[in-house]
Amino acid sequence: MRSRACRARACNCWFPRTNQALLRHNSSWAEKVSNPQSQIQTYISKSRDPYVNLSIEHFLFQKTPPGSKILFLYTNRPCIVIGRNQNPWLEVNLGLLQPHDTHNASPSEPPALGTVDLVRRRSGGGTVFHDEGNVNWSVICDFADFTRDKHAEMVVRCLRSLGIERARVNERHDIVLDQGIDKQQVEGSDTHSTAYTSTNAASRPLKVSGSAYKLSRNRALHHGTALLQSPNLQIIPHYLHSPAKSYITAKGVESVSSPVSNIGLDNASFEDAVHAGFISTYGSGMERREVVDDDLLGIAEIRKGFDELKSLDWTFTQTPQFVFSSQPMGTMDFDLSANGKFSMNIRHGIIQDCEWTFSDKKTSAKELITLLSEQLAHRKLHEIGDWAASLKAEDLDPKLSELLAFLNRTLPQPA
Amino acid sequence: MSTHGVHNAFGTFIRSTTTYSQPLRKSRRPSLARPCIPQYFHSATRLAVVKPYLLADIGEGITECQIIQWFVQPGARVAQFDKICEVQSDKAAVEITSRFDGIIKKLHYEADDMARVGKPLVDIDIQSEISPEDEALINTSKGSKEEEKAVPAAGDHKTKTTAAETTAAEIVEDNIVQSIVPRPSGKHASLATPAVRHLTKQHNIDILDISGTGKDGRVLKEDVQNHMSNHPSSTTTASTPSEPLGQDKPIPFTPVQRKMYETMTRSLSIPHFLYSDLVDFTSLSTVRRALNSHPATQTEERPQKLSALPFIIKAVSLSLNAYPSLNAHLDTTSDKPQFIHKASHNIGFAVDTPSGLLVPVIRSVQSHSITSLAAEINRLSALARSNKLAASDFTGATFTVSNIGSIGGLTVAPVIVGPQVAILGVGKARVVPAFAADGSVVRKEEGVFSWSADHRVVDGATVARCAEMVRGYLERVERMMVKMR
Repeated sequence: MRSRACRARACNCWFPRTNQALLRHNSSWAEKVSNPQSQIQTYISKSRDPYVNLSIEHFLFQKTPPGSKILFLYTNRPCIVIGRNQNPWLEVNLGLLQPHDTHNASPSEPPALGTVDLVRRRSGGGTVFHDEGNVNWSVICDFADFTRDKHAEMVVRCLRSLGIERARVNERHDIVLDQGIDKQQVEGSDTHSTAYTSTNAASRPLKVSGSAYKLSRNRALHHGTALLQSPNLQIIPHYLHSPAKSYITAKGVESVSSPVSNIGLDNASFEDAVHAGFISTYGSGMERREVVDDDLLGIAEIRKGFDELKSLDWTFTQTPQFVFSSQPMGTMDFDLSANGKFSMNIRHGIIQDCEWTFSDKKTSAKELITLLSEQLAHRKLHEIGDWAASLKAEDLDPKLSELLAFLNRTLPQPA
Repeated sequence: MSTHGVHNAFGTFIRSTTTYSQPLRKSRRPSLARPCIPQYFHSATRLAVVKPYLLADIGEGITECQIIQWFVQPGARVAQFDKICEVQSDKAAVEITSRFDGIIKKLHYEADDMARVGKPLVDIDIQSEISPEDEALINTSKGSKEEEKAVPAAGDHKTKTTAAETTAAEIVEDNIVQSIVPRPSGKHASLATPAVRHLTKQHNIDILDISGTGKDGRVLKEDVQNHMSNHPSSTTTASTPSEPLGQDKPIPFTPVQRKMYETMTRSLSIPHFLYSDLVDFTSLSTVRRALNSHPATQTEERPQKLSALPFIIKAVSLSLNAYPSLNAHLDTTSDKPQFIHKASHNIGFAVDTPSGLLVPVIRSVQSHSITSLAAEINRLSALARSNKLAASDFTGATFTVSNIGSIGGLTVAPVIVGPQVAILGVGKARVVPAFAADGSVVRKEEGVFSWSADHRVVDGATVARCAEMVRGYLERVERMMVKMR
């Protein structure tokens, strides 16, 4: 029997919680969320689990009534979050996610962050790195009221109220800090330009927040990151640069990478400012925010969403079709030139077929390719660990072992 | 629930969707509290006809997006507002829902394909009423445009007739069908959809002559075509009188044209007044020729010939120092209009590019010299013509100069681009004879300057004085020199 005092800030029930009471509490919370009277709802999550937070966010998106405006703030433990339709092999250095796997580790590995989760979210957009110095903000409103810039502008106003006068919204609906040195005269309330906007190529603005959206028939969700005080800025590029990048030709959305920076605020100040900005824009300014936590997993839909997000199938097989080739089109030969061109066609995360051709007609890889085709076809790419071990072959042809070493380097097992 | 794909009869994989969102909707789940079939109590008859369902505009000028996953398969029954598929465009994942009840007949794309906005997404056998707005989402035929216009007019006519109907399914269909078309002529009031009736009108066939093979004796497109092939004589009389030499060609808007359309539509709300006067370019031309031939201005790396435009823009900027109300923004978006004098002179100038009219902005003209202005004009024009301008190059203009005279023209009435309050159009400088002080005829170059201003905040006198100042600077260039900082 789990006995715990109710921690929800807005909830006044200070009695030991049994499972029964927890169930009642959760179902009354779910009712409150979908109650048409609840027009302004603000939540902040204590959980650091990205799967929990995204599941709560999705529940809020689906269940809140029309006309309501929701703000949800959450922070995640170190994880990489890819967009709905992205390719993890292309965007992420999968070999770094489980650093205890020393097989792939090289001496120049960045300092270990421990296990880093890989999460595929439900909104579109690109790949981001989350850690405890990054606060995520999420606004849900009616589709009719929605514009892509509206809530990014709201966050910029909150940042400016905290003294971050270099913040502005850029053309891609992201929030950037202008790096210009000369201070110019600009309109104070224009959230798309600052006094430091500079067209000088040497001082490009630094990105501090990226946006992504999920739109349904009547509701719109806009969520974004806010890099406040991440200690990991230097190692983020290692995680987001995949060794397979130059070998993959893919459909789907690619990330647009930008140089990043910390804003330099602490989490609590930012959360308070965004909350205050939100309730003064949409509410009476008096609404208090409610704390939520992972005990909301007791709600069936949240649990179901959580399980889906955590499943390897969701994370890997939702990848659009792509081709992995040792010699992508339009490039010069790579180190495998002696070993011909190897390519695989991967759809739904499953290897459909592979082929291996050599430029000189004398070398034939017929037996090798038959071996590979038999063993690899219809296998899920994310389930293949060590490529050599996954092939049942007595002695490995030197060409084959070199190929397998190449595959191990570029397509390591993620989990 | 299966987590692996399933081999179908052709040995290819089908993605199993049972793990994720909704199961393949081959059959209704009885637990859902939703009416399965539109009730026949409803007085309007079901138009059970298969139509292509277009991918609606999802905003932001996006023309195509990628299909992430399908929630339905052919044969699946959908109700209004059920999810059909999820698409991805740049940063947004969008759920596309159905506007109708019906059965999905065909998917036009596979997962991962790029779907085009405005083109058919699925074919759906519609089993609910089609409201006038929904007509726009289904592609009926070539005559669809006329029908779309006719249908809203007939909308209230339709509701009156439906209210009077009784409940039986075998309702007299010609009544309903009549109500959709505003001309209930006896000849065409028969059992067919608007598309088919248009086809028969086009070929001058009496619809009553055709035997319908559709549901309840409806005439379908195939019936019309069969009839035409069986009775070719009837179609010869229907040939259109004389074929036009070309075909009408609908041209879709390019992004530049669309932007121009939107901006100019907004400008309609501005009350313009036009002020024009003649400016004597003779002395300016002399100065320019001298500068352009002098080796000092023609350096090795940057030989640049000064045109009249940098002089004009600099003269305008100097005059705006004296008349700041012309370098302002009028913000009418909120209830209280805000009139803001802008400190910086960010002057946009019109460039005619292969992709249309673009107006890049030169920032802080007050800090520029005439040569640096010329360099900036050249740089921005080159970028504009090669389509390499960034979005930030277009924003923040406080005044616009349009040198249409480089192509031609005398007096123009330029359109102000909101939230600016004024704009200057410069016509072509022509050589004309004029009288000198002593009465002799001299050669003079003159061009027309046409100023438009927003009469809500700017009065004629201000514009006139500013125009006089600009004219003064250009007719006597040395006056500009003494004002340079």
